[in-house]
This record gives sequence, structure tokens and C-alpha cells, in this order.
Amino acid sequence: MIGYKFLRADGSTVFSGFSWPLPGSEPGPWVEVPVHPCRSGIHACRAGDLSYWVGETLYEIELDGEIVEQRHKVIASRGRLLRRVRAWEDGLRDEFTRMCANRAHEIARAEPVLTALDEDIEPSISDGPAMLGFMAAAIAEERGGMDAYRAERERQAAWLAERLRS
Amino acid sequence: MRDHHLTCQEIVELVTDYLEYALDSETAAQFEEHINFCDGCAAYLGQMRAAIETVGSVEPEDVPQETLDGLLVAFREWKRT
Amino acid sequence: MTSEPIDDQRAIALLRAGDEQAFEALVARHYATMMAVARTYVKSRAVAEEVVQEAWLGVLQSLDRFEGRSSLKTWIIAIVINKAKTRAVREGRSVPFTALGPDEPAVDPSRFRRRGEIYAGHWRTPPSAAPDVVAQDRETLWVAMRAIADLPPAQQTVMRMRDLEGSSADEVCSTLEISAANQRVLLHRARSRVRAALEVHLSA
Repeated sequence: MIGYKFLRADGSTVFSGFSWPLPGSEPGPWVEVPVHPCRSGIHACRAGDLSYWVGETLYEIELDGEIVEQRHKVIASRGRLLRRVRAWEDGLRDEFTRMCANRAHEIARAEPVLTALDEDIEPSISDGPAMLGFMAAAIAEERGGMDAYRAERERQAAWLAERLRS
Repeated sequence: MRDHHLTCQEIVELVTDYLEYALDSETAAQFEEHINFCDGCAAYLGQMRAAIETVGSVEPEDVPQETLDGLLVAFREWKRT
Repeated sequence: MTSEPIDDQRAIALLRAGDEQAFEALVARHYATMMAVARTYVKSRAVAEEVVQEAWLGVLQSLDRFEGRSSLKTWIIAIVINKAKTRAVREGRSVPFTALGPDEPAVDPSRFRRRGEIYAGHWRTPPSAAPDVVAQDRETLWVAMRAIADLPPAQQTVMRMRDLEGSSADEVCSTLEISAANQRVLLHRARSRVRAALEVHLSA
């Protein structure tokens, strides 16, 4: 199974600090861990999960062995990074940040009570795509509750998936 | 199902359950989603992990000498019986 | 964790042989936790001391009966609990651990934005990123030790058993006769307090 994985700029994971062997012109070596749902295992995204996990760098990952599909991620016992998705760092990441900011403005400006939230958007751009993705979803939540939050996240994921497909 | 996104104030109350694998999968997913965008909570989680590691390195405190002396007396008496 | 102890059977053999150094070492290793346990049952430190001393006598007197079904350390704690309960009953105190005490927030609420502010519940003053290397210098360890010693007895007991001695959650729950949920609450409060103390120290 092929999925995606966001890593920090230094190739480490956000949650465990594990340093992934990075791919060059060839895929990186296989990494193996025992799988325990919600505990250990290699975490990866399917296309529909991307918005929840945006980070500094993006890789394509091949998963093998025991694979457990969860709501917003996949856990596997074997994985190797196939290639760095340069498109993410080369512009897609900033485009995503801007897209989320525009969406956040759109939703916030539709309601006078959300002005304070609206004003907070531009100053937060430097916080990056994860923050703006959250803000757009949180502002949607102000208007439409958790259903709207989740719908916004799905919108973001679809936006990303479409651009990564090409 | 939670009716609002997890706030940082809620996250810090969930950290122990998260580290103990005691969160239900929905809450665990929301917890991790939050850590992904929130530097403050990522830092908090890091501090908590570091605190646990530091605690694990603490050596047992000294026993008050009087207590030790008393216990040694008792030990020698017990030896004799 | 504290330095790897000689295994249980060896420790018992040395005690039976009358080895004073082994006894001293065993006392040193378990004293603080035994005191914390005793103090969850009896009010004064002085009485807790007596309970712990009685417990050591009990350990020595029952050495032959230790079957190795539990670890030595949980067996010792079970003896302390026994002595402490007896003492508590004698003093007319009801038995604790079931009462968790009032709620305490993991972090001072003033660190978060208030209700009515935008992003209520989010950090107002977030913590700074944890350093890559965990501080293990003497001063930091001393701060941690003090923070642990200052914990209320029930919290201190759970933290000592889980995070210093490496007992599992199941072991702690069955030894202390508390639910998994209560054990987690006590552990949570203990860890939150210690983290806060270390944050103050490390940011100074």
C-alpha cells in the first residue's frame, strides 16, 4: 500500500522523534516495528487524511506487513520512504496555507461576530500550514459546530489529494 | 463524539491517559491532530516525557540515620532468633 | 529507574544469611515508597515511621513465607499496607486511597485564554519547546526529588511505584487496591506537579 507521511525538516517524526532513513534517488530502507493499534507501528496518511497531519516535508511511503486502517491514519508494521514529494516544499505547502487562510477569511467575514477571529488570520500565516488548517476548521466550527469542523478538514484533504494526484 | 475541538486546556488533562494508551481511539486521534498543529502542546508533551525520564533517574533518598540505626538493631535481634 | 537491584531471591538469601549490608541496601531502596504508602493511611509522619519499622519487622519475620508469586517490592508494600491499615483502624481513621480529593488542574488556568476570549482554552503563555537532551544534572535531579517528596502521599506512592520503580499499572492497582482509573488520576496529578516544578527550574 502506498501512502503519505509528513516529517519534520530533519526527517524525524513529530510524535516519537524517530529519525527516518530518507530516500535519495532510490527508496529508503525498510523499517520494521511491531504493530499494536494506537500504540506502536508506522503511521501514515491516505489521501483523505492529509489535512490532519500537514508538516514541514512530505514523503511517499510504501507500507507492508500488518496494516491497520484507522479513522484518520494507517498503522503498519513495515514501511519505507519511496520519494520526497518536492512539490510540497516547492510551493504546495504555501499554497495550502494561503488557501486555508482565504477559506478562514471567507467564513469569518460572513458573520460580524467572527471579526476577532478574522483579524487573527494574517498574523498567523508564519505559523504555517498546520496552524492555518486548524484555524479554518475552527472558524467553520464557530458557525456550524463539529460537523462543520470535520467538513472543512475533509475539504482541505480533498484539495491536497487533487493536487498531489497530478 | 465530542461536540467541540479539543482545546489546549483539555489536552494537558489528557496527556497521562494518552501516554498510558487509555484514550478511546476517537479522542486519541483528536489528541494527535492537536499536537500536530499546536507547538505549545507539542512542547508540553515533550516536557512531560522529559519529566518522566528525569523522575526515572532519581536515586532513592537517604534514610534518616536514626531510623536506620533502629532497624539494624531490630535486624540483629531477628538474626539471633 | 534506580540502579538494577540484585534479584529478589538473592536479596532474601542474603537477609537469611544475616547480611547487614544487604538489609541496609534493601531498606534504602524501599524506605521512601514505604513512607509514602504509610502516610496515605496514617496522619502523622511519626506514626508512619513506626508503621514502616513494624513493616520491616514483618518482612523479616515472614521471609520464609515469601513465595516469589509477586515481586519482593510489591510484597513489602503489601506488608506496609497491612500494618498501616491496622494502625489506622486503631486510631479510628477510615481507610483512604478511594477518596481522590478535590480536582486539581494540571496547569495553572491563567496560562490559558479564558471563556469569552477568542480561542478560549488555548495557550496564552505556552511552554517553550523541550530540549533535545533530557536534563540529568544533579540540580535538576534534586529539584525532581524535592517535587516528588512534596507530593501528597497517594500521588507520591503511585509515582514512586510507576515512574521510579517501573512497576506496571496493573501491579500498582492490585497492590494498592485501586481502580485503573483512580491510579491514572493520581499518576496524572503527580506527573503534572513534577512537570510544573521542573519547568520553573529549567526556565530559570
